Amino acid sequence: MSTRWLQVGLGVITAIGSFVEVGSVTTAAQAGATFGFGLIWAVVLGTCALVLLLDMSGRFAAVSKRTYAGAIRERFGFKFYLLPLSAALVTNCLLLAAEMGGTSIAVSLFLGSEWRRWYPIVALLVWLAFWRAPFKLIENGPALLGLLALSFWVGIFKIGVPSPGLVSTMWHPHFQQGTVSEYLYIAVATLGATVSPYLVVFYSGGAREEKWSRRSLGINRASAVLGNGFGSLTAIALVILSAMVLKPLNIGANTLNEVGLSMARAMGPVGSFMFAAALFATCFGAAVEVLLAMSYNIAQGFGWEWGEEKQPAEAARFNTVGTLFLMAAFIVGLLGVDPVQLTLYATTFTALVLPISLFPFLIVMNDREYLGEQANRPWMNVASVVVLLIAFVIAVVSIPLMVLSGGGG
Amino acid sequence: MSESEMLSMRDLMDNQLETADGRMIGRVADVEAEWRDGGELVLANLVTGPQALAGRVAHWLEVVMRFVFRGRFERTIPTSEIEGIGPTIKLRGRAEEYLVGQSDRWIARHILRYIPWSGYW
Repeated sequence: MSTRWLQVGLGVITAIGSFVEVGSVTTAAQAGATFGFGLIWAVVLGTCALVLLLDMSGRFAAVSKRTYAGAIRERFGFKFYLLPLSAALVTNCLLLAAEMGGTSIAVSLFLGSEWRRWYPIVALLVWLAFWRAPFKLIENGPALLGLLALSFWVGIFKIGVPSPGLVSTMWHPHFQQGTVSEYLYIAVATLGATVSPYLVVFYSGGAREEKWSRRSLGINRASAVLGNGFGSLTAIALVILSAMVLKPLNIGANTLNEVGLSMARAMGPVGSFMFAAALFATCFGAAVEVLLAMSYNIAQGFGWEWGEEKQPAEAARFNTVGTLFLMAAFIVGLLGVDPVQLTLYATTFTALVLPISLFPFLIVMNDREYLGEQANRPWMNVASVVVLLIAFVIAVVSIPLMVLSGGGG
Repeated sequence: MSESEMLSMRDLMDNQLETADGRMIGRVADVEAEWRDGGELVLANLVTGPQALAGRVAHWLEVVMRFVFRGRFERTIPTSEIEGIGPTIKLRGRAEEYLVGQSDRWIARHILRYIPWSGYW
């Protein structure tokens, strides 16, 4: 029994520690720095959808014992499977490049010199983790270090109480002229950063790696609901901190160094250290997870041998395709786009293609051939579809507006 | 499997192929049937390969794949090799007995062995 509670605790803690990554750090800081508390709702809404989707993802793996991509292909056929696969290839490639960029910036905050110098080394480390690290280490190691992100709350308490005017932006956001499109753009980027489809694939793949069964449903629900619920508080803390520190100084959080200023101002050198360490751990962990999720998706969809616990030579196609994908993302990262900008492209595009990425999965979650009595309840479908559609509609409205105005970060 | 069990294409197409030693070697991309004397149409082979997959997407893509690969990677598994049918199709033989999924071994032998810590022996 105690082992079981230990597993539940670890599941919850790692979910908290791995909640933020380059996407949520960037969008939360930009949201706070530009609109005060006015976009906290997007973090909360995105988290609700993520909790539902991750609960489904774990439940699917535990009950059906099938793989995510395998089920999509079996249920809809090969031609249809190519649609969510293409969406995943584009979003994950941008996101992996951004995560490696975020990790490199974290290293440069520690060791100095330009982040681009560290980028190849970070890519090599990500590949090494993918190539040889055991699944448990990938899942738990960066996430435990990522708990340093809880120090964002310490930063808030060091700064003091937010002014009533700032608090009121939560329900009454202030728009300066021409900022409505930016508001919507950051809202959609926040939703795209929070409801990450790669997490759904990674989580279900992980559940298969760990041979989950119906007995694992409790752990699944606890880590999905409690872990991500508390995890979202780290993103909300960064919104608040950025609103209290960066907004009054008119600093737009356009680079990750600017984002780190909020912690530096709140806690001095210790704050800078905490920010850099949390950024490193969470971005590095997310980079390996994105890479694994993409490799799972392709290998499972094509029916190849897969698994992080196997030697690379035992699952050769899985490891080769992951290595090639990492190379592609590495090249995208070398094109010269700043990681913050790349993150915004990745997260807004993610939001735009959310229906393509996740509707097929929702349909599978209602298939009693796979899930029996554990199939989705109607409210789960309705709640998920509503959030996906909200993200999609705001994306359709805001992205053209931002492109026309030449903005976006 | 009982004699009277009816199967539809959905029971076969895109399903996982797993060998007797538990290796996942691919998914069914297509099937081949045989028209026998006496007017019997019998399922003969399960097919895998890029050409068969391309044909599932668009006819022109299959033509392109045929031109590029000339059927070099198309593989068939006789239905007599099928041990059981479900979302996973269990095969009677071990992985090395099938041409399907040999690319896993080819990549390990010709590429991964030169990369450190690949576990190739």
